[in-house]
Amino acid sequence: MRPDRAPSDAELLAAVAEGDSDAFGALYDQHAPWLLVRLRRRTADSDAADQVAQETFLVVWRDAGRFRGQGAVGAWIWGIAIRRLVDLQRGRVAQERLAGLLGRRRVSDVASAEEQALVRLEHREVIRALNRLSPELQAVLQATVLDGLSTREAAVLLGIPPGTVKTRAMRARAQLRQDLA
Amino acid sequence: MTTPASTVQARDLTMTFGRTRALDGVSFELVPGVTGLLGPNGAGKTTLLRVLATVSAPDAGSVLTLGLDPRRTDQRLDLRGRLGYMPQEPGFHAHFTAFEFVDYVAILKELHQRRARHEEVRRVLELVGLDAVRRKKIKALSGGMRRRVALAQALLGDPDLLILDEPTAGLDPEQRLRFRELVGQLGEGRTVLLSTHQTEDVVALCQQVMMLHLGKLRFTGTPLELAGLAQGHVWHSHKRDPGALGAWRTGTGQHRNIGNPPAGADLLEPTLEDGYLLLLGGDQFEEVAA
Amino acid sequence: MGGVDAAGAWHADGEVLGAYSDGRLDAAGRWSVEAHLTSCAACRLQARALVDPARLRRLRAALIEAVDVPRAGVVERLLVRLGVADHTVRVLAATPALRGSWLLAVATTLAFAVLAAWVSRGADATMWLLCVAPLLPLAGIAVAYGPGIDPTYEIGLAAPLGSFRLLLLRAATVLGTSTLLAAAASLMLPRLGWGAAGWLLPSLGLTACSLALATTIEPLRAFGITAGAWVVAVAVTVAPPPPSSVLFSAAGQVAFATLALLAAVVMMVRRGRFEADRGFDTTPRFAARRLR
Ligand SMILES: [Zn+2]
Repeated sequence: MRPDRAPSDAELLAAVAEGDSDAFGALYDQHAPWLLVRLRRRTADSDAADQVAQETFLVVWRDAGRFRGQGAVGAWIWGIAIRRLVDLQRGRVAQERLAGLLGRRRVSDVASAEEQALVRLEHREVIRALNRLSPELQAVLQATVLDGLSTREAAVLLGIPPGTVKTRAMRARAQLRQDLA
Repeated sequence: MTTPASTVQARDLTMTFGRTRALDGVSFELVPGVTGLLGPNGAGKTTLLRVLATVSAPDAGSVLTLGLDPRRTDQRLDLRGRLGYMPQEPGFHAHFTAFEFVDYVAILKELHQRRARHEEVRRVLELVGLDAVRRKKIKALSGGMRRRVALAQALLGDPDLLILDEPTAGLDPEQRLRFRELVGQLGEGRTVLLSTHQTEDVVALCQQVMMLHLGKLRFTGTPLELAGLAQGHVWHSHKRDPGALGAWRTGTGQHRNIGNPPAGADLLEPTLEDGYLLLLGGDQFEEVAA
Repeated sequence: MGGVDAAGAWHADGEVLGAYSDGRLDAAGRWSVEAHLTSCAACRLQARALVDPARLRRLRAALIEAVDVPRAGVVERLLVRLGVADHTVRVLAATPALRGSWLLAVATTLAFAVLAAWVSRGADATMWLLCVAPLLPLAGIAVAYGPGIDPTYEIGLAAPLGSFRLLLLRAATVLGTSTLLAAAASLMLPRLGWGAAGWLLPSLGLTACSLALATTIEPLRAFGITAGAWVVAVAVTVAPPPPSSVLFSAAGQVAFATLALLAAVVMMVRRGRFEADRGFDTTPRFAARRLR
């Protein structure tokens, strides 16, 4: 590691996998602020955000060796965080005896070409089309595309039935396609 | 300048193992700062350090450490809370991480407040430069790192007296340098006693030096005084001087002789090592040591 | 919104990030910022200004603490739940005898004793367990503490936590676990009765005896001698048929209870012997060359 250059995320993560505490601290300093900011946009409860951030970094510490190097470390960390948040909401849902829809997690994070285009927002038309969607449809797209959650996970996060997630996602895509055509 | 009050006073320490006199009427005083305990293997260094660390009680004689008498149970426990001891071969629970191990010793040192204890463990590990690897298992650490873990546990609770048994053994030159820096810092305001058979360690960081040989204390004083013992006993010659106690060929091709020089010899400025070798050399130099 | 750097790449400036954080961006803006943050270190650093530094520090400290202390084992967590102080539990966790291998050995031994009882099914069914069970804590404590066994023995001697307390703590734990296991084994004997618990007092008596003995001789030897004495006593007193021993009679049990008490007294009086490699107490030294 050259001293004249800050280590990259992947290098830090590799060091963390080796049990390096300094690297872990550096990784936290790099990623905790934006993670907390982004969590603020997913939950209004700052205690819940704290808990999710804490659990996320514990998973990072434990599973650093499992990061395979494809994609950004930030995306990997967010993938962990959003699922911790879903788990937390699930716990609350269960506590409130609303529903017990414990589904299996979607393992694959591979997004379709269409989704990738959405994430990258390459085109002005996409941006305009997106902004024309209703907040409900935007929320579903955000959960399923940007956060990479499964239908069930998105349902827990948004507090709506999985069936609704599916229909809204279909409607959102149909509308986008129509607008972009 | 006033001489600082002594922190350790040892009187006539004697200890026997079977027929071996490991300590034979050893008396000395220690003051704050770093004191080096020199001596060849088997000189009784470890035995002396163990007595000072209250690991074993002497057969005869007494020690007063930091004003406490280890023969009295309450004072002994008090003293143990204020001293740090790094044994020559510290054992490790190899399945522990460095943090866990030092944390375990911290518990033995009765630091019970969990939060404060963990803070202290992190502090000493950082002091010895091991904070980055503190979560690694000890069995995964290198020999030099393990020595530093052993040193870290001795620093717990910021002890007034540090007893380090051969702390530089097995360290490479770079690690040795870092170690000297650290011990030099620790010696400020604290009493540090470290045993070694490396005269370079003493030259590098000790304000005081004691030399133990065959259970007897042969010298106490400053490193300069120890070197001064050999004043007029070190000389150059083209061939090995048969009258010398010891001699070796130096890089220049000349021979460096230690002993009683012949008349008109080319005398050299002695080093601490010369003084040490001269003391080890034999009884004919008793009067020099006295 | 946002800005373009010298290289022409898009970056979110502080204003955009602030708007994002407060929820003032439209969907496209939100998505741009989020997608960008995961991969741009420069913009991530800007996010720092949007989070309370105290909150970041607090989370960091909690995280460091959580990661430094490895997850405790099942037994450890159970003990903490039961209200045992965390530092005590850590000391116990460092007991060499409490590793899985020792527990496995004890369980195996007991299983054989129970098996033997089922195979014989006679009056001697309980004899095996009665004879073997008291030996188990002895073996366990023998490998729980002492020079050459406890790797940190030397450091422990120079620490204020009394070595005697350390020994007692570990002895109690080993005795406790082996007693629990032996009790479980007793329940599996073919015929249940109070006689099946006859090993309990001998267990206690032998343990206390060996600890008392360890104040004068090397601990390992003390445990060996006590174990040997027990085996001899059983062999001498066992009287067939049907096999029984006076050791497990009412009188024998009272004797072991008394022995345990006496040994405990001796141990307390001479506990200074455990406080150093060579003791500080003034009792006559029977083993001046101990450990050398
Ligand atoms: Zn950027």
